[in-house]
Amino acid sequence: MATFFGEVLSVYSRAVEEDDDDLDDENEDERIHREIEEKREVHIVWCPEVAQSLEDSGSNTLQCSDLIIAVGTNAAGFLSAYVLNTESWDAVGHVSLWNERSRGSSRQSIAPLPGEPACLFYRHRDNPAVLVCQSTCYIAEDQLFQWTEKVFGCLQKRGLSVMVLSDSPVAEYKTPDYLYGSAVPFLRSLKSSASKGQALCPALEQPNILTGLPAAVLSHCQVHQIPAVLYQCYTDVISPDSITMETYKPALLCLSKLVKLEPCLSADVLRKFAIITEAQSNLYT
Amino acid sequence: MSIYDRAITVFSPDGHLFQVEYAQEAVKKGSTAVGIRGKDIVVLGVEKKSVAKLQEERTVRKICALDEHVCMAFAGLTADARIVINRARVECQSHRLTVEDPVTVEYITRHIATLKQRYTQSNGRRPFGISALIVGFDYDGTPRLYQTDPSGTYHAWKANAIGRSAKTVREFLEKNYTDEAIATDNEAIKLAIKALLEVVQSGGKNIDLAVIRRNQPLKLLESKEIETLVAEIEKEKEDEAEKKKQKKST
Repeated sequence: MATFFGEVLSVYSRAVEEDDDDLDDENEDERIHREIEEKREVHIVWCPEVAQSLEDSGSNTLQCSDLIIAVGTNAAGFLSAYVLNTESWDAVGHVSLWNERSRGSSRQSIAPLPGEPACLFYRHRDNPAVLVCQSTCYIAEDQLFQWTEKVFGCLQKRGLSVMVLSDSPVAEYKTPDYLYGSAVPFLRSLKSSASKGQALCPALEQPNILTGLPAAVLSHCQVHQIPAVLYQCYTDVISPDSITMETYKPALLCLSKLVKLEPCLSADVLRKFAIITEAQSNLYT
Repeated sequence: MSIYDRAITVFSPDGHLFQVEYAQEAVKKGSTAVGIRGKDIVVLGVEKKSVAKLQEERTVRKICALDEHVCMAFAGLTADARIVINRARVECQSHRLTVEDPVTVEYITRHIATLKQRYTQSNGRRPFGISALIVGFDYDGTPRLYQTDPSGTYHAWKANAIGRSAKTVREFLEKNYTDEAIATDNEAIKLAIKALLEVVQSGGKNIDLAVIRRNQPLKLLESKEIETLVAEIEKEKEDEAEKKKQKKST
């Protein structure tokens, strides 16, 4: 470089950095990416018996005829109140993951405490091919694919049939007509093309879409030609609520064919699963 | 749709005031209240909200007196109701002092409705999220029942319901409000209880009832009285069912 005073100075090129620094930076970036990936990895932790059955089967898969997934507090509460209330269900595993909204325990072996948002698996004692999954924790978009692949990777595809129950706020339901108060909460269904039976409620109209875990599961079932039916319940209550849980009752028809259900349910049992925030909330009288 | 529901004063292209309509949704979050106009009595019945264990039950009231001869029940946002009730009470006394007469039920309803309407037409303010049932006797002895809603409209009714399951209760009243159903004071009270029992879980202990009889002040019924009436109603229902069964078998 020539200066004003006639001297020539050698300049350092800003375009190329020295090799050593370059390598470190790249490594650091890679390291950070890897750490984040590991932190956000989805782990399924099975109980010892199921882990043993997985090992014993040649393909590391469980035999499963029916998988029922509940996404959301009302769907999970419905299953807890109507299906999981008998003594014949065993907790067989849970999914441990971390994201900004679901700060699960980073140590996988610790099972989530009851009442905490979590993703739990239950199996019926008399009919071990029936699995129930209750998912009340938030699963981030980048973790959905992993969740689906890992969970379905543990199950045999042959003879598998899936039912998904999911909650959604009615504010996200798009319709040209005005929704009167008495219509809410209500159910809408969506099926994979392999699913042959009749759904128990009207199909989800356009332009409504599914997002999140229910969408990931249904997409997976569609791609792998697994019969799957989804029941989406649109509700105007943000906390677990007994009326919303009762909206899932049509699904009991299918469930009663699989497992023995309690014949009648008192309102008190349902109320137990509905959060008692109503008493504390003095906003509305 | 969403760009027309931000500011309260904006009409949507198809003529909706979305904030007002959303305020009506807030009313549906409150528990049910029913009002019945009898011949010599007006009745207000409400579904009691479940009270937290450590909360003083007395301070959670849905029925409030506006004056000696007028009272109202509301459904919706508690805090909004408090403001409306305070303004109405002040207006009742101001009226008494200014014109030396108690307010008519229509006058105070109109005052409340005008207040509510004003809040649907100013910028920066949202509508009141309550509907009210206002009952009382005018000084000429006529019983009155009025209902207001967040938009500021008010109408006179023979019987009406507001709040969570208002539609169900209103349908029950349309079927069962007859001249003989309100023939006596007791029958009118029982009609109000029957209407509430359609939607209230776990019966009489979740019901609050208030009555005003001609030339008498507001009376809040005690839970024992309500339980007695509920028991009477249950017995009548059983007798009806028995009679039907006997009719079938003969």
